Amino acid sequence: METTRPCPQCQQPLAPDAPDGLCPQCLLKAAAGPPPASAIDGLHGDLIDIGDPAEVAKRLPQFEIIALLGRGGMGVVYQARQLQLDRLVALKILPPVDALSPDFIARFAREARSLARLNHANIVHVYDFGETGGLYYIIMEFVDGANLRELFQARKLTPAEALAIVPKICDALQYAHEEGVVHRDIKPENILIDKKGRVKIADFGLAKLLRREALDMTLTLSGMSLGTVRYMAPEQMDKPETVDHRADLYSLGVVIYEMLTGEVPIGRYELPSQRAQVDVRLDQIVLHALEREPARRYQHASEVRDDVEKVTGKPRRPPPRR
Amino acid sequence: MPPNTTDRKPADAGRFELTRWSMVVAATDGDSTQARAALQHLCTTYWYPLYAFVRREGHGAHDAQDLTQEFFARLIEKHWLESVDREKGKFRSFLLGAMKHFLANEWDRARRLKRGGGEAPLSLDAQSGEARYALEPADRWTAEQIFERRWALTLLEQVLGRLRREFVAVGKEKLFNALEPALTGGKVAYAEVAARLNLNEGAVRVAVHRLRLRYRDLVRAGIAETVSDETEIEAELQHLFAALAG
Repeated sequence: METTRPCPQCQQPLAPDAPDGLCPQCLLKAAAGPPPASAIDGLHGDLIDIGDPAEVAKRLPQFEIIALLGRGGMGVVYQARQLQLDRLVALKILPPVDALSPDFIARFAREARSLARLNHANIVHVYDFGETGGLYYIIMEFVDGANLRELFQARKLTPAEALAIVPKICDALQYAHEEGVVHRDIKPENILIDKKGRVKIADFGLAKLLRREALDMTLTLSGMSLGTVRYMAPEQMDKPETVDHRADLYSLGVVIYEMLTGEVPIGRYELPSQRAQVDVRLDQIVLHALEREPARRYQHASEVRDDVEKVTGKPRRPPPRR
Repeated sequence: MPPNTTDRKPADAGRFELTRWSMVVAATDGDSTQARAALQHLCTTYWYPLYAFVRREGHGAHDAQDLTQEFFARLIEKHWLESVDREKGKFRSFLLGAMKHFLANEWDRARRLKRGGGEAPLSLDAQSGEARYALEPADRWTAEQIFERRWALTLLEQVLGRLRREFVAVGKEKLFNALEPALTGGKVAYAEVAARLNLNEGAVRVAVHRLRLRYRDLVRAGIAETVSDETEIEAELQHLFAALAG
């Protein structure tokens, strides 16, 4: 009998009858416990460490990597300096995509172009995008601030603060929808507030670019990524191919509910005014945004904005454009 | 790519009540054709661990073959299930318990009466069984330990075989061979594999990711077939893990 070599994982000697020559204990261990570890917002380590700073610096020498801003299902984001222009940017490294699917590269270019065309004060601007050695990246405006999730974690927003943010989100959505772009992944992590209090929505259209809904469903089956799914409109889960801009309005409804109550609406949820000291008229706004059936929902982001502003009594100014 | 996991229907969601052992347990009349087919399938999958148990209990090769065959015949044909304690539990424990009972109480009588012809309900490849038994680890393992270790290995062989077939079916066997070692949870030299297979690194990463998820689902689905309740899957996994250590 040949000398038994050890398992490269656990270093135990491998039995001669190990299935396919693989260590059976390590095989079982890999299937045990919670779903694959190092999953941050649902992505397995296989897909994440492509964004290692050293790796990125090697492949994109035109940038100086300054700091890690965040990582999630949509990739890794660094604060970087674009050396030639000496400007700060957010450099987003996309998770490795299924580049075996032949249409991806064309789709990436097409989608990224339409994102780069979005030009609105409340939308994080896309400067550039590209691919190098299988690494797909997007260069964006650097927003010096925090996202809504981080604000929630720091403290609860007052209803007045929450309601001041909503119209900005609506403006951004209304503009993008008119340009034919659906966000598809509106959630607190994607709503940024800079140090001057300006609201900016990030990651427009990325979910579609990355076919994220399909991936989310897969990961959810494996018990991951519930974070994102809670903000998804019902049709995004049931019939992702039918999704239009009204899915964003549903997600917006979830975000408003969470801003007002600190919870996301799941199952039979209480009305905002039952959970928090807020104007009862907000109940109707939230319920209307959260209609299961897209046709029964708000049809335009501007309607949500108008209704919220009726409650807050703020006069309407024309939306800022840059 | 292997069968595209992102397009996969929620394979394991909500289907628990349909797993084979839970179906057998639920068939109270003992006469359901479906339950019988389910039991037959389970027995075909896991006969060898039982055979190894019988051999290690001291029965010779010839006897062990007859005995295993007879045991399954009774189990499947004669609704013998009903006479055995058939409370909720794992198929693995049930099968071992039933075999012990059979060895203690039935076998001598059965041998005296000798089955009168008839088709064997399972075609067990006795030759290969004996050939495999020759490779079982030496004496430090008890019959019961051999049974459980073999059970765990059988499950893994089934899963790896199925995964390989899925890749072969879409003409990706080379990819499978290159990625299979990743299933033990180790790091993968993505760039190296990519260069060897002439793929880009991102594609390899996605393929590894999907392979790992699919593997995990298949192991858990395989275990689900042998337990009567979804909550038992993790415990059974841990049990089999411990069984491999001996």
